Amino acid sequence: MPAKSAVKKRSFDIRNVLMVFILLFFLAIIVYPLFLVVVKSVSTKTGLSLENYRKILLSSANMKAFWNSLWVSSVATLLCVTAGAGLAMFVVRTDIPGKSWLKMLLLLPYGIPPFIGAMAWAQLFGPVGYVSRLYTNLTGAFSAPWNIYSAAVVVIVLAVYQFPVVFITISGALGKIDTSLEEASRMSGAGPLRTLIDVTLPLITPAILASSLLAFVGCISNFGIPALLGFRARFFVLTTRIYSALAIPDMTLATAMAVLLAVTAGIPLLLAKRLERRSGKFTVISGKSVRPQTIKLGIWRIPIFAVVLTIALFAGVVPLLSMIITSFLTYWGAPLNSANMTFDHYKYILNLPMAVRAFRNSAFLATLAATITMFIGALVSYMSLRAKMKGAKVLDFMGTIPYAVPCVMVAIAMILAWSKPPLVLYGTIWVILAAYLVRYMPFSIRTTNATLQQVHFSLEEAARVSGAGWAQTMKDVVLPLIKPGLVAGWILVFMPALRELTISVLLWSQGAETLGVVIYNMQDAGYTQIAAALSTVVLFVILSGNAIVRKLSKGEITI
Amino acid sequence: MAKREKRIEVLNLVKQFGDYTAVNNVSFKVYENEFFSLLGPSGCGKTTTLRCISGLEEPTAGEISISGQVMTSAEENLMVPPERREIGMVFQNYAVWPHMTVERNISYPLRLAKKSKREIAAKLDYLLDLLELQGLEKRFPSELSGGQQQRVALGRALSTDPKVMLLDEPLSNLDAKLREQMRFELKDLQQKTGISILYVTHDQVEAMAMSDRVAVMKKGDIVQEGSPHEIYENPKDQFVADFIGTMNFLPCTVTAKTDQGVNVRLGNGAEFGLDSGAERGDYILAVRPEDIVLGSEEGTDCEVDVRIFLGNLIEYRVRLGEDYLRVQTDASLRLEPGDQSRLMIKHGLIFPK
Ligand SMILES: Nc1ncnc2c1ncn2[C@@H]1O[C@H](COP(=O)(O)OP(=O)(O)OP(=O)(O)O)[C@@H](O)[C@H]1O
Ligand SMILES: [Mg+2]
Repeated sequence: MPAKSAVKKRSFDIRNVLMVFILLFFLAIIVYPLFLVVVKSVSTKTGLSLENYRKILLSSANMKAFWNSLWVSSVATLLCVTAGAGLAMFVVRTDIPGKSWLKMLLLLPYGIPPFIGAMAWAQLFGPVGYVSRLYTNLTGAFSAPWNIYSAAVVVIVLAVYQFPVVFITISGALGKIDTSLEEASRMSGAGPLRTLIDVTLPLITPAILASSLLAFVGCISNFGIPALLGFRARFFVLTTRIYSALAIPDMTLATAMAVLLAVTAGIPLLLAKRLERRSGKFTVISGKSVRPQTIKLGIWRIPIFAVVLTIALFAGVVPLLSMIITSFLTYWGAPLNSANMTFDHYKYILNLPMAVRAFRNSAFLATLAATITMFIGALVSYMSLRAKMKGAKVLDFMGTIPYAVPCVMVAIAMILAWSKPPLVLYGTIWVILAAYLVRYMPFSIRTTNATLQQVHFSLEEAARVSGAGWAQTMKDVVLPLIKPGLVAGWILVFMPALRELTISVLLWSQGAETLGVVIYNMQDAGYTQIAAALSTVVLFVILSGNAIVRKLSKGEITI
Repeated sequence: MAKREKRIEVLNLVKQFGDYTAVNNVSFKVYENEFFSLLGPSGCGKTTTLRCISGLEEPTAGEISISGQVMTSAEENLMVPPERREIGMVFQNYAVWPHMTVERNISYPLRLAKKSKREIAAKLDYLLDLLELQGLEKRFPSELSGGQQQRVALGRALSTDPKVMLLDEPLSNLDAKLREQMRFELKDLQQKTGISILYVTHDQVEAMAMSDRVAVMKKGDIVQEGSPHEIYENPKDQFVADFIGTMNFLPCTVTAKTDQGVNVRLGNGAEFGLDSGAERGDYILAVRPEDIVLGSEEGTDCEVDVRIFLGNLIEYRVRLGEDYLRVQTDASLRLEPGDQSRLMIKHGLIFPK
């Protein structure tokens, strides 16, 4: 007797159509443009060759920028990893007071866009900056003995803004070490310090290495900081050099340098990935809930606390305050008293069509970028992780390629792909949207993968055997369970997109300005307070968004 | 005995993952009001078989019918989706939905079946009562103990009165005490409702305690099928003998055929008669610990090596020449390690070497 409602297997499946559609989309928006960059970088009048690269290597200005990128990123990495590991050690593993507060303060720079951070540092330590003025007032010197527009400051500011990631990774690893390993060392006769050096440090070495590599990549791909602090000193790194090349425009030079940058950033990324996979095999860092041993600091407790607190304040709170105060000052350099405070700059922004447009554009772009990438990300994750569809892994791979591509290269790829007919997007807001989709796709796929992995297979299967069809299962079980993750993921794309600078500064056009672009241009043109007022608003939005995500993810995710 | 209705029929089921064969030509039937267990070591294909029956996995070959209807047939390219098979299933990890209350979890299949509000409420009441979950209906799974979550999973599987229930090691995550209690409850439930249960476990004690029939699986094959008693008494081969209960294995030689069976000689030279039809030659003798009499007048010499108290029983490990044997006696016999004694083998099975 045949079943009443039998279904032939391998019938037409709507999911296959969807898969092909996404594949074409990824090919058009990610693979093709990036491919064009590589092709352009090796094309010369006479055909394909590495001539362009030879030219770069022979030009002293380009080579200089390359070396600058390398050393600036290396030193900044060294700085922030040393500080990150040290501070993580103190905050996680000693009896320093106010741990959770310190942790929060140390993580604050995470929420501050690097280019806004650079502006804040310029406000603090620049020629008429608050700290500089304090110094001249106190010492009677004519000017502060430092120059904010210099390579050294670029290094420091880069380190400050890469620091939180390093700190999170290392303190996470420290918190998860199986304490019995350390206790065993104590029982074998090693003191707390010996144990730290012989057992703890080796255990967190993979975390330290991985976060160093990622910090290096973050530094070398950064544009805002070397642009705002380095241009005036004519100190160029790869990203800013590419920016100048595009202004000429010299596409061949720009593409070749972008590929050079991508390779330089790609190698550490690959290494970090391998490290992650390898260290996964030593299961020394167990997920067990452990009560880490704390080292007693004794008489050093308070002095060390003071040092850590000062660092923490200067990394986040002080720049933030400086930004807010600046935005209310009547004129830049005015003495700090209530008579010199005004709302004028905010009123000015409201009446500045460009600023209003920038808000609208950024909100529009960020909303679309977050919605589209999360939607596609969820589909790709579902197809590759759940439906286990053949070929979905390819989608997952394609979608995550841009993770290894620096923003400047994404922007160049968009220019190459979308400034010729049949589809001319360059010069409109849509080219920025396209770039954002490329840029944020990997992040979306990652969050949706992680979210979906938390929903055990059997929860879905239980719905199926309970009598729910595929669509019903999605609606009743899968979606409700992944919703918080999706919302958090959406905000995690929306926030960085809202204040994005590197891509939009290369792709904007009249009428298609983003917040990042307007702030950058205002600051560059010397309208410090207008830039500060805009930044304050952006910071307010970002920090509130961060609070929402923390709440949604129960503190597991921060922007 | 009246002819009983077949509830599950699995015919020549094969499931391959790539070129790895997880289930290799398995066939069995589960009848109405029957508790049937698939028993086997980890990785032998139990879960895979269960998932093929539920429709969550598509078999490579074979046919599966539920309540007389063909649900899966690889040959005819037929695959009824899981939601239309009208079975209840309890997953190994319960799979109760964390975003739904106890009440909603249990009533979910009913709501899908578009039952009336009154009907749902009545059913819910009955199930909460049956599973002793009253008062917990508004709680979320995270606010329940493991045993309670499991009962919710059971309730959900039972809610639509399926004639067939599939249970995948549902007790494996519970502590020993709760596990025993749940065994009784499950068996009780099955008898009360008359449903057919296909139970998957690697715990032979569990399978023995609850099942009407057991199928022992090994590397994707069913090696033996029968009542727990049959399998315990007459394991078909050394694997089953080893897997079911405790068994001693000794090398032995059949020296002669007699009227009662055969004469068997052990490694230490001891000879005795055994009920068997084996030809002369070298074999493996399988003896259960309770089939050995220790401290007997006659029999072969042995030496007590280790003693373990099991409450009402005592288990000894004794040395017999080169071999060691586990022996169970009642608590009245007290021997110390190092004591010399004698033992007699009452019953044993002979397997080829
Ligand atoms: N989706 C899959 N892909 C590949 N191999 C699989 C898959 N599912 C199961 N297997 C393999 O098939 C074999 C049987 O798996 P199955 O889950 O049925 O074992 P089991 O008898 O339920 O074991 P356990 O008692 O450990 O649950 C195993 O070797 C397993 O590795
Ligand atoms: Mg299993």
